[in-house]
Amino acid sequence: MEEKLIEFIRDEFLDEPDTELTESTKLISSGMIDSFSLVSLQTFIEKEFGKRIPAPRITAESFDTVKQMIEVIKQF
Amino acid sequence: MSYSDQTRLSYEAILQDIEEKGLYKNERIICDPQGAEVKVEFPAGSEQKQLINMCSNNYLGLSSHPEVIKAAHEALDHRGYGLSSVRFICGTQDIHKELEARLSTFLGTEDTILFSSCFDANAAVFEALLDADDIMISDRLVHASIIDGMRLAKAQHDTYKHSDMKHLRKKLEMYQDRPRKIIITDGVFSMDGDIAKLDEIVQLAEEFDAMVFVDDSHATGFMGKSGRGVHELCGAIGKIDLISTTFGKALGGASGGCISGRKELIDLLRQRARPYLFSNTLAPTITMATMKVLDILEASTERRDKLENNMKWWRKAMAEAGFILVEGDSPIVPIMFYDAKLAQAFSKDLYQEGVFAVGFFFPVVAQGQARIRTQLSAAHDLEHLERALAAFIKIGKKHDILGKNKEELLKITQ
Repeated sequence: MEEKLIEFIRDEFLDEPDTELTESTKLISSGMIDSFSLVSLQTFIEKEFGKRIPAPRITAESFDTVKQMIEVIKQF
Repeated sequence: MSYSDQTRLSYEAILQDIEEKGLYKNERIICDPQGAEVKVEFPAGSEQKQLINMCSNNYLGLSSHPEVIKAAHEALDHRGYGLSSVRFICGTQDIHKELEARLSTFLGTEDTILFSSCFDANAAVFEALLDADDIMISDRLVHASIIDGMRLAKAQHDTYKHSDMKHLRKKLEMYQDRPRKIIITDGVFSMDGDIAKLDEIVQLAEEFDAMVFVDDSHATGFMGKSGRGVHELCGAIGKIDLISTTFGKALGGASGGCISGRKELIDLLRQRARPYLFSNTLAPTITMATMKVLDILEASTERRDKLENNMKWWRKAMAEAGFILVEGDSPIVPIMFYDAKLAQAFSKDLYQEGVFAVGFFFPVVAQGQARIRTQLSAAHDLEHLERALAAFIKIGKKHDILGKNKEELLKITQ
């Protein structure tokens, strides 16, 4: 799950392919991802993992790192 | 008194934090009409300086044009100062209807609705026209007012990488089952001065049955052969469903804006757009002055042609002088410094040399992308541009940055 999320985020949001990206990289608070773009992550998670995460659970705080995302996904 | 010391201190702390981060905006005070040169007092209370203005949106030099001023005076004499009403109660004059029709003709659209500002227009449009199941797909670099407008809408929102048509296609495929889809972009992007690929966007919109929204605020009046905007430049007249634009830049520069497009959409905005329904009608002075601007633009392309020539001259001269420019074909010409402190120091030195140009840095632009955004105007004569160039070169030598590439610039500032 972690690898797939990182691969998607790299492809979807990063312009520089060499940017370091780990499960703990701050994505939203660092400005790497606009909180507005979280809907594409929601759609990806639903398609890839079959988990529909309700929009209110996807926030700038709860989805700031891949590690946090996985914790939320596991609850569904 | 409800404004306690504790409340006051809490706001003082916020302001202090802004200042400590170097993000506090001090306003430069202009002491005469807008033009190629302005008298500036900065900081407040200091001696006034005569500066060449390289940072206004006065693209066509019409902000202080005598005919535009005369039209505003005539409006005062014949239609009064204010209407004291929103449009649908008693705030619609004959001149408002006339301007809406004139704008539709100018932009090549079916109908137009006026707003107090283009910010209001962008804040209004998506909430009024889209439902929860619809999808808004926007370029990642659209203007702040569009972002606020999208936040207000019930419809879902996603973004595509800046001007990346492959990514846009991917997003359209992803959301093709949505009842309504709308692609949202600026015509000219305000920070980089690059131009949206409207021809390709329109093709994708047709393929996926999506609507297209363009904010052409940095384009109306001068982009395209006759100045209609980016849709003219890209051969897309009649193919854009919604165009928002401002009267606060090239079209006289006072304030006010509009949305122009499909007649059903405009009609629905008249019924539902909250900033239209709940804020005042456009002042008669601006309404009549904007019509005069359209008269001037329809009579001759002289001003947009001069602007284009100025833009070409400036881009070539600055590149030859050894500055790094963001490539493009618009009168927004960013000069790259990458480092925020260098951009700020350079802007300050320019001020001392008689040139008014402002540095932009994070969070207005991405981290490490600090720049001075220069903007050309038809009000500039060659003499202004030559003087501005000489000042840029002098300060460039002082900081030893001429002819340096990005890596070399970054080394200097480390």
